[in-house]
Amino acid sequence: MTSTTAASLPIGTAEGLLETEKNAGESENTYILRPVFQQRFRPSVVKDCIHAVLKEELANAEYSPEEMPQLTKRLSETVKDKLKEMGFDRYKMVVQVVIGEQRGEGVFMAARCFWDADTDNYIHDVFMNDSLFCVIAAFGCFYY
Amino acid sequence: MTSENTSGPHTSGNPKGDKKHREKKLRKESEVDFPEDKEQKHRDPDRDTKHRERPAERDGHASRENPRGDRDRESQGKGKRTPETGTDKGTKRIPRAGREKSHSRGKDRDKDRERRARREEPRQTAQHNLLGWQLPEPAERRARAGSKARAEEKERRDEGSEWGDEERERRYRERKLQYGDSQGNPVQYWLYKEGGERRHKRQKEADRERRHREKSSVREKRDKHSREKSNSFSDKEGEDRHREKRHREGARLDEERHPGDTGRKERSSREELTKRESKDSEHRNRGASSRRDPTSSQEGSCALWYAESLVRNNGKDKDSRKKSCREGSTVWKQALSPGSAEIAEIEKEDTDIENAGTDEYTPCLEDDFEDYEDDFEVCDGDDDVSNELEPKEKIEELPLARKKEIQEIQEAINAENERIGELSCKLSQKRGLTEDANSSPSRAPVCGIFMDFATASRRQKSRTQALKQKARSTKLLRLIDLDFSLTFSLLDLPPVNEYDMYIRNFGRKNTKQAYVQYNEDNVDRDTQTEEVETKGVWSQHPAEGTAVSGGSGSGDPCDTGAPKVNTPRLSRFLRAACQVIAVLLEEDRMAAEPSWSPAAQDSALRISDSASQLNTSLPFLQNRKVSCLCASQVQRQTVVSVHGPPGAASDPALDGRHVLCVWDIWQPSGPQKVLLCESEVTCCCFSPFKAFLLFAGTVHGSVLVWDLREDSRIHHYVKLGDCFWTFRTATFSTDGLLTSVNHRGPVQAVEPISTSVYKKQSFVLSPFSTQEEMSGLSFHVASLEESGVLNVWVVVELPKADLAGSLSDLGLIPGGRIKLVHSATIQLSDSLSHRRYEFWGAAQTLSVKFLPSDPGHFIVGTDTGLISHGTRQDLRVSPKLYKPQQCGMRPVRVHVMDFSPFGEPIFLAGCSDGSIRLHQLTSERPLLQWDGGTDGRAITGLRWSLTRPAVFLAQDDTSCIYIWDLLESDLGPVAKQLISPDKLVAMTIVGEAEKASGGFLALVLARASGSVDVQFLKRVWAAPAGDELGRLRLLLRGAL
Repeated sequence: MTSTTAASLPIGTAEGLLETEKNAGESENTYILRPVFQQRFRPSVVKDCIHAVLKEELANAEYSPEEMPQLTKRLSETVKDKLKEMGFDRYKMVVQVVIGEQRGEGVFMAARCFWDADTDNYIHDVFMNDSLFCVIAAFGCFYY
Repeated sequence: MTSENTSGPHTSGNPKGDKKHREKKLRKESEVDFPEDKEQKHRDPDRDTKHRERPAERDGHASRENPRGDRDRESQGKGKRTPETGTDKGTKRIPRAGREKSHSRGKDRDKDRERRARREEPRQTAQHNLLGWQLPEPAERRARAGSKARAEEKERRDEGSEWGDEERERRYRERKLQYGDSQGNPVQYWLYKEGGERRHKRQKEADRERRHREKSSVREKRDKHSREKSNSFSDKEGEDRHREKRHREGARLDEERHPGDTGRKERSSREELTKRESKDSEHRNRGASSRRDPTSSQEGSCALWYAESLVRNNGKDKDSRKKSCREGSTVWKQALSPGSAEIAEIEKEDTDIENAGTDEYTPCLEDDFEDYEDDFEVCDGDDDVSNELEPKEKIEELPLARKKEIQEIQEAINAENERIGELSCKLSQKRGLTEDANSSPSRAPVCGIFMDFATASRRQKSRTQALKQKARSTKLLRLIDLDFSLTFSLLDLPPVNEYDMYIRNFGRKNTKQAYVQYNEDNVDRDTQTEEVETKGVWSQHPAEGTAVSGGSGSGDPCDTGAPKVNTPRLSRFLRAACQVIAVLLEEDRMAAEPSWSPAAQDSALRISDSASQLNTSLPFLQNRKVSCLCASQVQRQTVVSVHGPPGAASDPALDGRHVLCVWDIWQPSGPQKVLLCESEVTCCCFSPFKAFLLFAGTVHGSVLVWDLREDSRIHHYVKLGDCFWTFRTATFSTDGLLTSVNHRGPVQAVEPISTSVYKKQSFVLSPFSTQEEMSGLSFHVASLEESGVLNVWVVVELPKADLAGSLSDLGLIPGGRIKLVHSATIQLSDSLSHRRYEFWGAAQTLSVKFLPSDPGHFIVGTDTGLISHGTRQDLRVSPKLYKPQQCGMRPVRVHVMDFSPFGEPIFLAGCSDGSIRLHQLTSERPLLQWDGGTDGRAITGLRWSLTRPAVFLAQDDTSCIYIWDLLESDLGPVAKQLISPDKLVAMTIVGEAEKASGGFLALVLARASGSVDVQFLKRVWAAPAGDELGRLRLLLRGAL
């Protein structure tokens, strides 16, 4: 596979770490084990979001090896920011963007997660045109 | 210096610094050297303070410091010590001697230095402090991370943070040297430095000679100059310095030549470097002092010692301020956060304190400075500040152009420093906020190696965090279940084979789309689909009204092509036309066949013009004798003949059955209808208005009805010969039904009871007439049996035929529509028996006739010669009986009676004794009576002529026919015709009144042989004379 792939993984944290540290020492911790139903990570909604971003950003995109790293970063940031706005409270988002050139080679991409299937979920969307393919996968992990 | 390369974020500006440094170096080499002295001097105060304090300090701290130091060294620095030839004692001792020397020397320059320091230091410290104070924290943290040093660190922290930090730094450095830091940097750095230093040194040693020569003169000058400013500075200094330098150079050269010593020297030099790099004044002090160390041969341990002592000094100085580590930390934090100004202040304080007790300084420090200068020059990394100071003094002594240049550089440097200051300030603030609160603000020097401390502290921090996280996770993991998800396939893009790839990229080249055709298989371009022709058609069932079917759409050919047919009218027309055509054909055939006509001619009687023979030679009529003939009163040409069972069996299907044939006399070739009957038919009659119903009475007492309109398909048909014959069975039979009222004996007569005939003739308008005529079926039928029972039946036509048969009407043939309902029973025998003729016993009723003018009245012929007059409604009638002229009872059977068809109230009665009576309805006795007309032969048939009112025909049992014409003769018959040899069995008369041309009168004669012939009477008896009816009435009146 000669096509360049670039990936970036920004991680958005909803909470500061210091707070949790302070709390840790004081008393017995209480944990929120399940997200509020409305704030649950809903793949359909996220998929719409990702799809919209893909359509908007890659409508007329051509593959060029120089631009792709920036593009992946931008895409991932965009998606991450959008997901943050959607109010998935206490969720840590991982957005993975992979852009590759379409040259007829076979590509297989897979993901595997070790997580709590009750709260965590993922969704991905694929965009393809003649010159490139783009896969955006968004993983939402609940922070207890 | 090379060490900077390894430093962390704070040395980000290194390349720049290096460059600058190099520039400076070049300049220094080319220019005068004495500014370096100044720099040294400016540094001196720091050093001075150290030296100054050291003795006291050592005294105070020796007891607790040394053991620890030893312990530290022993625990950490075994590797280090082994290569060294000397012992700890040696290393310690020598620097001490040197220091004492310096003490003695440094005193002279105290004031000068102080002053200068006061002037310059604030600026320097402002910058240096920033850099210097920032770094200690990570260094300390790193140090803490080390498990070995932890205990000591605690102690030391208690004593004083700064001091502890220093100590830790040093130890760390030592450790690194020994073990070779895991981070790899130090080794490289070490090697690199080694090379670099050597190079530098060689360079410098060459320079030094030259410089010294220059210096000697320049220093003189400078000294003078400085003396102008300050009071004291001995010329000796310069010389001393020279001397010392030379001496040391020699020593150094020696050292370099000895490979065994190089390691040590390098180590020491590095320590010097690291110290120099620290921007703090203290560090500089220490650096300066350490630089002095090389005077002795044991440099490494010397440096260590110095570091310790320095730490001790500082610790003492600042003990007052910082009692404990925590206190210190807070203070430092406060100091750091506000900004550089405060820090500068603090620094000033420090320097003041340090300078305060400077008395033991010795001028011999100058020597050290020389040495230091060299080292500094060689190794100076980012000690920009110290370099910056040079130009100030240079400016005065250099040429104007130079000055200017230098000034520019200076400004640039200042600007840069400011920038660095701001940056560092920000950084420090940031860090001060974000860094771990526990870390005490130590004054770790800015150095690449110290970045390891930073990372160590970071590691430490992350470790604590990790521990917390771990604790958290263990708690959480008890509450939640984690599992492996299935492998999500994010993208599966199968490889495209080469051909597809090629086609995808180049497949469409040089092609263009010419045309598109839908339905690719269909190559024909002209027609894709054939248009479907549609047309709307409607029909209606049942077909009522004029429009039964049709099409929609104006342009429809079918619509125009199909004429609107009035079906009932057409059928009516066809029926009539067919009859006519059939008759015409029949006539043609008869004319064509001469054999028939001669026969007919032969058979014609004298009384008749012509005759024809009905075709009774049909297979089913062969060998059958005609028992009865009947003509319709309405359709005059229709005759029915009743054939008895055949003599010899011919057809099993018809064996034992009686056959009735309906003939049209104009179509003698075959019967119109053929009817079958199980029992023997004794009498029959047609329906009164239209001859489509045939009623018959049987010897078994049943009354039968045939509906001649019925569809032939519901009847049995047999192929006889080459054509099919439909044999109709009775539509309705009373046989076996209504046993309570039904006849028990043979039916003597069946007569229709109808009023319409009379009404028509009398022209009396009745409200019901039209209705009855329309229906055509509102009439009764009367049947008479011998015992005097007269049954009246109502003929009912069902509105709808039921092919499945009817449960309630058991006598009805399936599909039939006519049935008989019993209406009334009239017992004629009762009315006859209570007469005076009772003794005669019960009279037999032989015939019945209803008055054409009044169907409520009827006359019944009996076997007593009397004719009874009765009504259906049991009304009283004037002559109850019509009696013969002879009085008394005679056994005379009145067998036949006939009313005049012309509306006259007269009737004829024929008796078995051969007498014929003409009765008037109103009189009991007959008008006329002919007793000898037939020579006493019994009268079997008697009929009025249908065309002439005054003519009637009679038949006797000897097969003779008599014609009476009352106008011609009222005494006897005018003509007599004997029918022989084929005896006459039955006779009826058919004929039509004169209309346009063809009035005719015909006799239908049934012969004993079974043949039936039609005799058309001669015009004499057929054509009426003028006013015959009037003449007849006149005659009758006369007869009265």
